[in-house]
Amino acid sequence: MGPLIPQGIITGQWDFVIALLIGAAFGFILEASGFSSSRNIVGVFYGYNFVVLRVFFTAMIVAMVGLLFFSYFGWIDLNLVFVLPTYVNAMLLGGFIMGLGFVIGGFCPGTSYTAVAIGKIDGMVFTVGTFIGVLIFSEAFPLFENFYTANNLGGITIGEMFSVTNEVVAFIFVLMAIVAFYVTWLIEKKVRKNMTEYKFE
Amino acid sequence: MNRNYIFLATLMILLAAGLLILPERHNYQQIKPEDLMWDIVQTQRYVTTDQVAQMIIEGDPTLELIDVRSAKEFESFSLTNTINIPLDSLMSPNYSDYLGIEDINVVFYSNDDIKADQAWVIAKRMGYNSLYVMDGGLNCWIKTIIKPIEPPETASLSEHDLYQFRKGASVYFTGAKIAAPDENNKASVKIVRRKKGAAVAGGC
Repeated sequence: MGPLIPQGIITGQWDFVIALLIGAAFGFILEASGFSSSRNIVGVFYGYNFVVLRVFFTAMIVAMVGLLFFSYFGWIDLNLVFVLPTYVNAMLLGGFIMGLGFVIGGFCPGTSYTAVAIGKIDGMVFTVGTFIGVLIFSEAFPLFENFYTANNLGGITIGEMFSVTNEVVAFIFVLMAIVAFYVTWLIEKKVRKNMTEYKFE
Repeated sequence: MNRNYIFLATLMILLAAGLLILPERHNYQQIKPEDLMWDIVQTQRYVTTDQVAQMIIEGDPTLELIDVRSAKEFESFSLTNTINIPLDSLMSPNYSDYLGIEDINVVFYSNDDIKADQAWVIAKRMGYNSLYVMDGGLNCWIKTIIKPIEPPETASLSEHDLYQFRKGASVYFTGAKIAAPDENNKASVKIVRRKKGAAVAGGC
C-alpha cells in the first residue's frame, strides 16, 4: 500500500498538506516534551537531564519497529522509502557544529520554533541566527562544495553496511535504548539530590 | 521507577524480539488480474527477431536482453550482451537489480518463446514494466537472422529489403564474409574508335 505518494495512491500535491499536519504534530510533541526549554535540552550535555535522549530514542525505536511490522504486513514498501545519502565527512563536521550550536544556543532548529511559538525571546534570536547561518552557508557553498560531497556512501542503512537484517538492527537498538533509559534514570536520580533547582515530574 | 515504564520497556523488547522470530515474508506488488490478462493479450509485448537484431547492431542503450534458459545452454550459445537469468531464479533477489530500471526495455528470450513468455508473466506479476518477449525465440533467430531464406523473385520489394537486412545482420552476427567481386576476372573493355577520314557510314 504505502508509501502513498511514490505508489501513486495520492498525488504529489498532497505533500505540503501532509508536511503541515506532521509539522504541527511534531511541534506539539516537542513542546509537550518540554523541548522549548533550553534547560531541558542542554541538560544532556551537562549531565543532569536526559529527556532529549529519552524522547528521541523512544521516537526512533517506535518508528523502527513500527515500520518493520508495517513492512511485514505489506502496508509499506521499504524499498520505496527515501533514505538520506550519507556524506561521511560533511556529516561528521555537521554533527559537531550542530552539537556546538545546541549547547551554546540551547535549541536545535526544530525546538527553537516551539520556543518562538510560546513567546520566548531567546528562541526568536536563535531563529534569526539560523536564517543568517543558512544565508551564509548558501552563499559560501561553492567554497566547500568538494568537502560537502566527498565520501558519499549513498542511501546506505546500518543493516546494509554491516550486512545484517533490519530486524536485528531494530532489536539491538531497542536493547540499547532501554539500557540507556535505565542508566540515565540512575544518573538523574543521583544528581537530582544535589539539584533542587530542577524538579521533574 | 514507575511501573508504566517497566511495562512499556518490556512491550518494546517483546515487539522487537517478535520481529526476529517472524518468518521472512515477501510482499510483492502484484498487478490486478484483469490488468494482467489485458496485457497478456496485447501483441505489442512481442518484438520480432529483426527488431532485436537491429537494436543490437545499432547498440541501442535502452535494450536489455535476458536469456532465461539454463546456464549451460547460455554458455553454449547466446546473443550479444545478454544477461543470463534462468527462469527458476528470476524471483531471486540476486537478479532484482536487472529488472525495473528506468528507461530500459527488457527483452526475454529462450529457445522458443514459451519460457520467455513465462518469464514475462512472472516479471509482470512482480510489478515490473517495459517487458517484452522475442517472438519465436532463438529458433526463429536462427531461421530469420542467421540463415535467412531468399524470397522468390516475385516477392514484394519490402520482402527483398527485409532479406537484404537479414543477410547483413547474418554477416554481422556470424562474421561470415560476403562474396566479394573477383578482381582478376574483370572483363576488359575494348574501345573502338572510328578511323578518321573514313567515309561517312550509313545514310540512306
